[in-house]
Amino acid sequence: MSGAVLPLIVVLLLVAAFMRGDFALTLAYMVIGGLVAGSWWVRRALAQVETKRHFNTHAFLGEKIKINLHVKNKGWLPLPWLELRDSLPVALAGPRSFQTVTNLGSRSDTNFEYSVEASKRGYHPIGPLAISTGDILGLGESLRAENQADHLVVYPKIIPFATVEIPSYSPHGTLRHALPLFEDPTRVFGKREYISGDSFRRIDWKSSASAGQLQVRLFEPSIALETFVVLNLNAEDYYYRTRIDSTELAIVIAASISNWIIGKKQIVGMLVNGRDPLETNSQPQAIPPRKGKLHLMRLLETLARSEAIDNSALVPLIQQQRHQLAWGTTLIVITGQAGDDLLDELYQARRKGQNAILILAGRSASDESVMRRAKILDIQVFQITTERDLKIWMQASKHL
Amino acid sequence: MNHSSNFNITGNQKTFRFISYTLVFLMMTCFAMTIGVLIRNAIPGWSSDIIAGIALFIVIDRLYTYKRTKNLIPFKREWAFTFGAQWMVIVVFTKTLLSFANGPDSLMSDISSFTRGNLANLFNLEFGVTLSLALLVWYVSGQFLKLLDEIGLDQEAALSKAATPVQKDILPAHQRLVNLTLQVGIGLVIMTVVTRVNLNAMFNQLDGSFTGLSRFSGAETGALFYFIFGFALFCLSRLISLQTRWNHQHIPIASDNLARQWVVYSVVFLLILIVVVGFLPSGDNFGLFSLIRILLDFLISIIFFVGQLVWFLLSLLLSIPFLLLGKNIPVYPPIPPAPTPPPLDPLADPTLLTNNQILMLIRSILLWGALLVIIGFSLARFIRQHGGFQATFRKLPIASWLFFVWQWLSKNADKTRRTLSSVIGDAWQRIISRTEGIRLFPRPGLLRLSALDPRRQIYFFYLAMIRRGNEQGVERKSSQTPSEYASTLTNAIPSVHEDIHSMTEAFVEARYSPHKINSKEANLVKAAWKRVRRAMQILRKPDKN
Repeated sequence: MSGAVLPLIVVLLLVAAFMRGDFALTLAYMVIGGLVAGSWWVRRALAQVETKRHFNTHAFLGEKIKINLHVKNKGWLPLPWLELRDSLPVALAGPRSFQTVTNLGSRSDTNFEYSVEASKRGYHPIGPLAISTGDILGLGESLRAENQADHLVVYPKIIPFATVEIPSYSPHGTLRHALPLFEDPTRVFGKREYISGDSFRRIDWKSSASAGQLQVRLFEPSIALETFVVLNLNAEDYYYRTRIDSTELAIVIAASISNWIIGKKQIVGMLVNGRDPLETNSQPQAIPPRKGKLHLMRLLETLARSEAIDNSALVPLIQQQRHQLAWGTTLIVITGQAGDDLLDELYQARRKGQNAILILAGRSASDESVMRRAKILDIQVFQITTERDLKIWMQASKHL
Repeated sequence: MNHSSNFNITGNQKTFRFISYTLVFLMMTCFAMTIGVLIRNAIPGWSSDIIAGIALFIVIDRLYTYKRTKNLIPFKREWAFTFGAQWMVIVVFTKTLLSFANGPDSLMSDISSFTRGNLANLFNLEFGVTLSLALLVWYVSGQFLKLLDEIGLDQEAALSKAATPVQKDILPAHQRLVNLTLQVGIGLVIMTVVTRVNLNAMFNQLDGSFTGLSRFSGAETGALFYFIFGFALFCLSRLISLQTRWNHQHIPIASDNLARQWVVYSVVFLLILIVVVGFLPSGDNFGLFSLIRILLDFLISIIFFVGQLVWFLLSLLLSIPFLLLGKNIPVYPPIPPAPTPPPLDPLADPTLLTNNQILMLIRSILLWGALLVIIGFSLARFIRQHGGFQATFRKLPIASWLFFVWQWLSKNADKTRRTLSSVIGDAWQRIISRTEGIRLFPRPGLLRLSALDPRRQIYFFYLAMIRRGNEQGVERKSSQTPSEYASTLTNAIPSVHEDIHSMTEAFVEARYSPHKINSKEANLVKAAWKRVRRAMQILRKPDKN
């Protein structure tokens, strides 16, 4: 309220009271009325404003998302001016906020459309929308209201792999394998004449009858690739200078491997020890192995939301999770640094019949020693320093 | 980011300026009317309507000239000239109107007092109060306009101000405008209260009780209207300040009709407010219909007032020729013969004691001269400040006729001037050509070279060369140009042909160009002259031999 309003009202009332100044009373009514009515109008009208955002809440990296903002005045009182300011995260391309000014008549609505570019993985808040308005006389302060923020999930970058050298001991899968040990009786790829020593169960009696001599079926060897990806997002396990890039790289690796496995119609599960903004307790959530596109989207969404966290030890989680994994499951651990305890844990997993793969994302001073120790323990280690290193899996491999 | 909206901030600037200036004018009119009522009530002998009219004139003048004068730096030369001229016109205008309001004889008497040097007689209380009021109105109007510019009427200034860091103790311009309006409003309310007090009756009662309190003085409507216009100004300035802020923050306005709707909402809001206030109980004077009646009465009174003012100004303009010729003014009753000044007592008046009529005459001339110069200068400045008046005047039919006469006169004057100037020019050339050949310097015998400026020093050396050349038999013909003579002299003394030519060129430049000649060039010519002189001396020696 302006500083001179109160003295004016006091003067008017004094004049009205002591000087029989009816005009002063009329003026007092006018000033107080202008003040009160203006304030009431704004408060009442602002309470009737409803805003809603419509947009695709999930997007892949680089995608352009159109956000439609619907503003509606449900009341009879018009709003002479309405300043809208929708906050946007810095990570998304473009200005940091969408802002505009409009007016709304009684029971009217309006739409605004703006777009953002999903330039960074994450769980980005769109909003909150700040709505400001004020009285038409400018005697009072501007009023401000906020509506809740919506969120946009930007999936991590997925690098399409041609093949990944992931060993598996799970027989009878859908993936072809070189070793005859994993011959799959359901995958007949030809016949040949019987040789002494062939199992009788392999004899194809129908073709033997038609050929007049014994014929045996040839089976294609195959494996089932049941994989469990463990993504370490404990910030301390990444080299501090490249922590942000390395954790992002780790997420990209996890997403790309998961995508490849699901693409191969295999099952994959995941454990991330990062912070999930949707989880109230921020505890790591394990996603049990499943197959299918929907499952992949769930994995990607988890990866999209995940953020690096401090003091979240990985080894106890692996210990806890390893016992629930089937024999022959491939355990892929993606981390920045691997200590002895992690290597021991992976060795234990290997001894229990699970395949352990260690992927070191980013750069670390201790990489050489880790690789030496892993070799001794016969644990396969990949070192991925940059996304370019992932090209090794973008070309077809001879092994699988 | 894709904004499907447009920037339309400064498009309404002219409209905003017009409306806001109109509102300021109306508010100040209410202010002036209230003061008029107050003066009428307090001092019935004064010309209250004229005083209010002068205040209105000041407001109009301020509104009209503010845009041109706002950028003047205080206490600088231009500022002093502009406002000095403006106030000179205001003072003369005010005094003339106040004098004329008491009758043409009063005006003549004041003029007479002025011519006699009795300046003290001109400054009476009424004049002083009117000038104080004029100053107040001038200042308050200026403050309103300054704040409106700061709010955003002058977008450039407002945006540059918005870009500077905000000081915490400085209120936003809109708030300051509200404060100013309300503070003036408080003053107006107090004045209105005073107008309701029958001061004459109160003064007559020694105990000072308010027995002379009247129920309705007429100033109430002025106060009421002031606040209504003030509220309208708040609405408008609020929109302007918001638009300035949006412009500064680059916030686009999505709605095309925001300004139009704002005006509609403002009008409806104020109407509803007035209607509701009209229905509220406030005694027996004000109710909705009585309020409307009073407001209409006030509007009609303003129209009458302005009409009277115009009539008064016209009558003043028409009567000036009659007054100057000493004849009776047709619109006024015959002027009684001006009271002859009482016979001056020679003992009381020291000027008569000395009987120095010349001194009186000089004083009168000085006063009149000073008055005419100041008024003429002020009027010229004033008219220059009011460029629009000139444009409007030019559109009038009488102006085209006057312009035609002026053109004819100026054409003839131009012709005469050209003829005269050519005659004078020819005569001057003749004189110069003679002096060039004979004597450029009036007293050669007393000539001191160091006392001459560089240009004249070059003249001197060149003329010396001609003189010496003549003595050597290389005479300069009157038809010869300097370069032709230089060629002749070079043929006679080829050894210094460069010096001769440089001296000639220096002389031509010094004589015919407006370039500034410095002493360095004069020294060069001096050195050249020494060489030429030596060569001439050598040339002379064989002749002697």
